[in-house]
Amino acid sequence: MKLLSRLPEYDGGRLTFSARLSRLGVRLRDPEWRKYGMTLMLGKMLGLAILLLGILAFSLWLKSGHAYADPTPATPAVTQPATTQAAVPATPAPLTGTDIINPLNTVWTLIAAFLVFGMQVGFTMLEAGFCRSRETVNVLVECVFDTCLCGFLYYAWGYAFMFGAGNGFIGWHDPTANADGSFTSWFFLAGVKATSTYAATGVPVLAHWLFQFAFADCASTICSGTMIGRTAFWGDILYSVCVSGFIYPILGHWCWGPDGFLYTMGTPSTDGTWRFLSGMGMNFHDFAGSTVVHSIGGWIALAGGIWLGPRLGRKFKRDGGGPMLPHDLTIAVCGGLLLWFGWYGFNPGSTLSAMDYGGIGRVAANTTLAACTAGMAAVFVMYFRVGKWDAGSITNGFLAGLVAITCPCYWVSPAGACALGAIAGVIVIFAADLLEHLRIDDPVGAWPVHGVCGIWGTLSLGLFASGEYAAAGSSNTGIPAIDASNPALTGLFYGGGITVLKAQIIGSLIICGSTFVVAMTMFGVLNALKLLRISHDGELEGMDLHEHGISAYPEYVISALAAPHGMPRDTVNYTPPVLASEKVAGVVLK
Amino acid sequence: MKMIVAIIRPERLEAVQEALAKHEICLMTASDVRGCGRQRGFKENFRGSEGVIRLLSKVKLEIAVNENFVQPAIKSIIEAAQSGKIGDGKIFVLPLEECYRIRTGETGSVAIGP
Repeated sequence: MKLLSRLPEYDGGRLTFSARLSRLGVRLRDPEWRKYGMTLMLGKMLGLAILLLGILAFSLWLKSGHAYADPTPATPAVTQPATTQAAVPATPAPLTGTDIINPLNTVWTLIAAFLVFGMQVGFTMLEAGFCRSRETVNVLVECVFDTCLCGFLYYAWGYAFMFGAGNGFIGWHDPTANADGSFTSWFFLAGVKATSTYAATGVPVLAHWLFQFAFADCASTICSGTMIGRTAFWGDILYSVCVSGFIYPILGHWCWGPDGFLYTMGTPSTDGTWRFLSGMGMNFHDFAGSTVVHSIGGWIALAGGIWLGPRLGRKFKRDGGGPMLPHDLTIAVCGGLLLWFGWYGFNPGSTLSAMDYGGIGRVAANTTLAACTAGMAAVFVMYFRVGKWDAGSITNGFLAGLVAITCPCYWVSPAGACALGAIAGVIVIFAADLLEHLRIDDPVGAWPVHGVCGIWGTLSLGLFASGEYAAAGSSNTGIPAIDASNPALTGLFYGGGITVLKAQIIGSLIICGSTFVVAMTMFGVLNALKLLRISHDGELEGMDLHEHGISAYPEYVISALAAPHGMPRDTVNYTPPVLASEKVAGVVLK
Repeated sequence: MKMIVAIIRPERLEAVQEALAKHEICLMTASDVRGCGRQRGFKENFRGSEGVIRLLSKVKLEIAVNENFVQPAIKSIIEAAQSGKIGDGKIFVLPLEECYRIRTGETGSVAIGP
């Protein structure tokens, strides 16, 4: 303090930059301060050195990852023909099959990936529209944060868990063996070579990664829909890490991983390894993710809704209330339509093959038809009940149809798609009623749409599979032929018996059950740590102001931010106004 | 005849309406207003810059009542709108000179209604 008091500028800690500089000058002349300064500098240098060492170690580690991935550096003659070509202008080698097929399939997969990523816009708009304006900013930030987080986690280990080979429950390495018989680890995608393709699809691993990241992101965003308006942001971050880092990739591996136990179930293994229900003769089918993406998302959402409890002041129908009103139906319905558009990447893109042109055409048509009938069914059910053409019901209705058609889209006929879509449209209304009856607050209806209709879609394959399309799904070289080695998938209504239905029930039950149990545990722990729900006062103030410091429509409140701020009143040439009453009294206000 | 002007927390509107309805006071005008008292508004942040908004969202109720309804109305508003924290609002009671019902042309305490 003695030193500081020498400075006239000192006013209790708030100093201008120039004052700080002159203070530094004073201090440097004092041996005691110099000693302190040296100690501080030493500490900072130590920190810097540790940081630099960390960066060095990280880059070395990255390099070693590549060395592991590419144990025998390719000889220049094989990979780099440019120099030889320049010297000898020979006629280019004729294009072989994969030269055309793989790029074509890759472009198709990437277009689909971009469309599926566009569904994030739809989800964000739908959720923002269906919530109250006081929690809109929270929805926006949460959805974007989920996307960023999911992208990184899916790169770090999610993709390896899900699409890597390993055992029936979790994966970690490239399914294709290296030349020396070893397997490349896929964590941080470190071992992916320029020519790596995903299994037999011929699509590059990184393109497949992008496509699957967009899917993972959908699953993680679906959960946030139910939890709008009361989840603390730290709770949101932590549960998102669990969902996109662990629950979705690991459970997804069971159905879609190259050796997932639901994917390989039903047939005895050839190499003596364990197979789930090896005598059943049918494996679990989920073409684009009614179960993997939507049921997982929906059931996590339900667990979140149960642990969080309703938003403050939410009264349920049986208590004489009803859902809290949405704040912008234009945004919500347009968001729903954008989701529909994105679904054209979600379902047809899941062929991962443009060569199966019959498949992508059929899938796209089925997707459309299911959405059409589902939307109509939902709005008519609501009309017959309340006499109004309800905007929220038709939106959630067609979304329910899209969720339902996601699993069976490849194996049903257009008529089947219409039927199963219409049923989904009815189911979603009654599922929402059930939620209301159970006093669970779901602002956007994520569980009725994704959780329940995800199950319905999965089961509907067992009923509506038309017996015309290959059970193994699409092929990367053309429309797959049906023969003894690749039989068609036939459901109950087309005379195929209950084999497919049984497999679907088992798969759906296992995935939804495991998801729900794990999610209940996860949210229970977060709740016990008091990280899950926002404080009472914070919720009264509104999520937006409390967590994000701004309202969604700041111009609509009488706001200082809207005015040109940073303009102080001219104090020199300012004379305060003299009011009439003051003139009479002869007093001028200073 | 009195005009009761009550400024309350937005989330208490329903509770206040219910409490008033118990005393058969159902006619009122409600508006969304911004104002400030000792709560002194809130701060908004946008890209790291901070702006103070010195006004808070409140609901303003204007209720015209006959003399014998004044005390019940005030009592029920206070009971329903009180949270005990700063920002609960205020009630102003003003004299009301005259009142006309446009549909019938009635005046005075009849026009104020039930």
